[in-house]
Amino acid sequence: MLSFLSFLLFHALIACAYASPDYHERLLLRPLPQDALLASFNFRSNETAAAYEQQNFRLFPRSLGQILQHAHTKELHLRFSVGRWDAENWGQRPWYGAREGSNGVELWAWIEASSEDEAFARWLALVNNLSGLFCASLNFIDATKTIRPVISFDPEGDHAGTSNLHLLHGILPHEVVCTENLTPFLKLLPCKGKAGISSLLDGHKLFDAAFQTMAIDVRPVCETPGQNCVVEMEQTVDMVLDIARSKRPRDNPIPRPRPIEEIECDTSKSYNAPDTCYPLDKKTEPGWKLTEVFGKPLRGACPLTAAEGPESETLCINAPPERTIEVNTTGHYTKSLSASDTLRCYKLPTGAELDLVLPEQRMTTGLIRGQPHLYAARSINGHGQERGSVQAVIKNPSPTDAVEFAYLESLPWFMKPYLHTLRAHVSTSSEDPLKETYYRPAVDRVRGTHLELRLVIPPASTLILTYDFEKAILRYTEYPPDANRGFDAPPAVIRILGPFQSADRKGLYLRTTPLLLSLPTPDFSMPYNVIILTSTVMALGFGNIFNLLVRRFVGADEVPAAGGLKGLIQGRIQRVKGRFGKA
Amino acid sequence: MALLATLLALRKDARILKIPPYLSAFLILVGVAWLLVLPLNEYSRGTYVSENALLPGQVHTYFTGSEHDVFRAYRHEVAGLVDLPVQQRTDKLSELLRASNLKVATQKYTYTPSGRNISDENVYAILQGPRADATEAIVLMASLKTMDGEHNYSGVALVLALARYFKRWSLWSKDIIFLLSGDSTSGPQAWVDAYHDAHDPTTIESLSIKSGALQGAVGVEYPAGPWGHRYDKLHIVYDGTNGQLPNLDLFNTAVNIASGQMGIACTLQRMWFHRNSYQERLQTMLRGMLSQGLGHATGPHSAFIPYHVDAITLVTVGDGWHDEMGLGRTVESLFRSLNNLLEHLHQSFFFYLLLEAKRFVSIGTYLPSAMLIAANFSIMAIALWVQSGRPQEPIPNPAATKPASKPATQDASKDSDNKEKEPEQEDEKKPLESPPVVVTKDGATAVIPAALLQVSERPLFLPAAFVVIAHFLGLIPLAAFNHIPVDDLRPAFLLASNLTTLLPLATAYLLSRFNRPTPQESTLIHCFSLLFLGMYLSALATLNFSQSLMVGLLTAPLSFVRRSSGVGAKLQFALLAAINPVMVVHAATYVGKIELLDVLVKAAEGWHIWGMWTQVVVWLVWWPAWFCGSVVVALGLF
Repeated sequence: MLSFLSFLLFHALIACAYASPDYHERLLLRPLPQDALLASFNFRSNETAAAYEQQNFRLFPRSLGQILQHAHTKELHLRFSVGRWDAENWGQRPWYGAREGSNGVELWAWIEASSEDEAFARWLALVNNLSGLFCASLNFIDATKTIRPVISFDPEGDHAGTSNLHLLHGILPHEVVCTENLTPFLKLLPCKGKAGISSLLDGHKLFDAAFQTMAIDVRPVCETPGQNCVVEMEQTVDMVLDIARSKRPRDNPIPRPRPIEEIECDTSKSYNAPDTCYPLDKKTEPGWKLTEVFGKPLRGACPLTAAEGPESETLCINAPPERTIEVNTTGHYTKSLSASDTLRCYKLPTGAELDLVLPEQRMTTGLIRGQPHLYAARSINGHGQERGSVQAVIKNPSPTDAVEFAYLESLPWFMKPYLHTLRAHVSTSSEDPLKETYYRPAVDRVRGTHLELRLVIPPASTLILTYDFEKAILRYTEYPPDANRGFDAPPAVIRILGPFQSADRKGLYLRTTPLLLSLPTPDFSMPYNVIILTSTVMALGFGNIFNLLVRRFVGADEVPAAGGLKGLIQGRIQRVKGRFGKA
Repeated sequence: MALLATLLALRKDARILKIPPYLSAFLILVGVAWLLVLPLNEYSRGTYVSENALLPGQVHTYFTGSEHDVFRAYRHEVAGLVDLPVQQRTDKLSELLRASNLKVATQKYTYTPSGRNISDENVYAILQGPRADATEAIVLMASLKTMDGEHNYSGVALVLALARYFKRWSLWSKDIIFLLSGDSTSGPQAWVDAYHDAHDPTTIESLSIKSGALQGAVGVEYPAGPWGHRYDKLHIVYDGTNGQLPNLDLFNTAVNIASGQMGIACTLQRMWFHRNSYQERLQTMLRGMLSQGLGHATGPHSAFIPYHVDAITLVTVGDGWHDEMGLGRTVESLFRSLNNLLEHLHQSFFFYLLLEAKRFVSIGTYLPSAMLIAANFSIMAIALWVQSGRPQEPIPNPAATKPASKPATQDASKDSDNKEKEPEQEDEKKPLESPPVVVTKDGATAVIPAALLQVSERPLFLPAAFVVIAHFLGLIPLAAFNHIPVDDLRPAFLLASNLTTLLPLATAYLLSRFNRPTPQESTLIHCFSLLFLGMYLSALATLNFSQSLMVGLLTAPLSFVRRSSGVGAKLQFALLAAINPVMVVHAATYVGKIELLDVLVKAAEGWHIWGMWTQVVVWLVWWPAWFCGSVVVALGLF
């Protein structure tokens, strides 16, 4: 008996030892200009394909795995995003935009099915199940919001063994992402937010961020085609915190004006006086602590991560070497430097809290940030209830490289683009930048517009893409409860095809902001007024005319002066006579 | 059935034509009286905030303390840069905004109305809402010059200080755009046109950064110098171009916050002292109507309203004890309210007349007034149409025992008729003398005067052509006044006023040389012109009530003038010459003590920059109606 128990324990130990390299997590902190801080959380767990098929889930969450198997989904990408990435100030996007989504919820998946209809049925099953799992209105991704992109997305996983894969893609631009989506996200993690870097994730701070995106990516990865496959699940959270705002205590979040003594005034101004203060930019990096900006302490390492080696260093900070960083912990930690000392990584102590303290510091070296490959902005032009136009301005900052990219628009059916008005114009060259167009027109109330373009933008130039559209008039019942807000049109997805290539198969992406489309909206109290008024007019008019039509007018002297039983009988007799007479 | 028959029989009655002039006069009187009762409590309503999401004044405001010191410093900075060249000024303002970590951009614009050169530069900054997705935005703006031409030192400084302060809040659900425009009307116009891509990119620069759909705009005018000035009241300006108004909810929210939360009294339409008496309410309403009727831009907010962006301007007035922070907190609270909006402002009224800050009349109550006045023209047009189909001579009652005698006026007109007309008169007399016709039907016999059976044809070509040409003629002054250079505007206007007075006389003289139009044709000319006027004005009443009412009242005499001769014609012509549109403009500038040239320059500016339509109404609705009426009257002189 005892030997059996020890045998079990031994197996459990082996399992643990075997499992630990299958789970990786890492938090990368990067101070950004304008007192912002980028925090990139990355959690990755592997499950062998065989175990996955047999529903033998260890690190892979059972709830998600069963949904994927039920819907025959081979690869899944799910994004929850709020805010926007300020590329001008913050530079290159985290993960080159590959782990980023449109505002709201974006979902795309490769589904195995023998026909398009079957794929769509499985897609519906998938979105409905995910909707329940993530407390999001994903079930509203119906046929009108689903498209099948052609060049904008490629599978990240190895799908050598499977055929008949269908890519389906849907966006919910007006979905408000909030804490109810974070809780199920954390539950999918092996340490569930109790230990490791995930213990820093707090709804208050995450959703106060200037930009935040949560991503879930599931894909099969094989060492050699079809062999030694694992199902990899990657969970990513990227957030940009405003340090000043995040440091405010939760019980006193109001940004009251600071006492004048705390403000540094420019005393060189001629008008400087005790009651007049020109605020001086301190030009220092603000001081912050992990516990301050995340509102929670970092509760030591997650025991499932590797015990040693670079994989065990789960907390990294990317800052200039001169930046002072103090570590505040009671446990044992190790530190390593890499990338010419700009990357400092820490191995977290187990069972003890750790805090990073960065004091306020005047820096001599600036922050290094990568240059984005493209800048994109999109807006609606024109006004009025009938039509408008969309203008996308895409800028290539590179002085030497022409950039080729795919531009994907998925528009709701009530926004009807006129494709003949599509113009792509580059200021610096007369060559048509538009190389290829894939267009699937909308069908009212059945499906939306799918527009995919392949464009090339010459070096150091700006491409302006415009097209006109018409606004449809909806049925009375098709308006949402807050009809006068307008309707959200999903962001455009831009994928860079060349010459820049990503090191892995994730691709390089950026997304524009969504658009607010104002449609002609009825005054919703009006229908009742109209119904009441029309009914009254109908009643009066119809009553009079009906009266005139059915009433027989006769002279007073023409009325037979009959009465009583005799008259009645005479009348009957005459009627019978008349009938026979006619016959 | 019987009623219908009675009505049809009544149509033949000669007395029916006597009613319309009285009915018309009655409608005009009722229309005016209707306006006069509107300020009474029984016909107006207290304002209320209709949109629940606004929650005006429900938040604490924190724009105090050290922000005041910063504001004072900014005010000194602004005072130092107003006299700098445009480029340096723009750089300095951009730098101040950039110091608050905002995205800053500039926009150059040039307008050349009536040969003048209006060029300046806008500076604007976008505060990206922390959780916003660039779909919605609200605008806070101040122009460097106020509407009265003063330097808007404190207004601009307040926008700068608020930009710095707003940046620290994390609760903004919409982007906030801070716009510092070069001047008070054309700067915001250039910006908002470019924002909606409705601009001419050759003279107005396109915007390099944009945000989402604009949900509201608030302008601030506070022309206190670098050492400050305490004010007494907030003057809320709300009229947009062409008399369009912002949603009443925005106005109510501003009044509610300023007077309820901050204790700053609000006033409107330059009524500095308003004791809420009948007379002052009426005066406020009439001033509002005048401003609406003229259709000019009244502040930086005016440009936004045509784009369905609700906008108001807060102007400080008087000497009192309220300071800049009170205004700052008012704006802060107003922006917190606008930030709450889930939908575009749509709940409350877009058509209203304000009597005081907390009392208004809604469109359902006031609209009949302008409609009645417009209806008077339609009634007269119908009456003239019926009249033109009648025989020119009255038909004597065949059953009358007295011999047929003609009215005195007819005799008088016959005496003064010149010789050429006499044969016609003879011809017209003939049917009267012809024997009655005997009609037999179904065994019944009737004796009917032959005149009753006579069909009188209406010659339509000349009257229709004349009225249409008169309307097209209005295009000439419309185009001329919008394009003549400033120096020539005044002479051109004097020339126009002389020409306009003489033109009907000359036209009438010319026409009378050709024996045209006949009295029937002149009645038809009059009829068509009144018909057009009635239609235009009733359509205009739904768009710009006040303008329709003003034009309706000024053209009211046209309903009652007739082609006559002798002293009557001269008197009528003199009256019409006095209500000539050009003369009215002259008189208005004299009464209002405004420089005529300013009016003309502003009108041209309005046409080219603001998209103002007032001169279209003046030259293509009012002037042709006046011209047709005057020609009809002048025909009697020859």
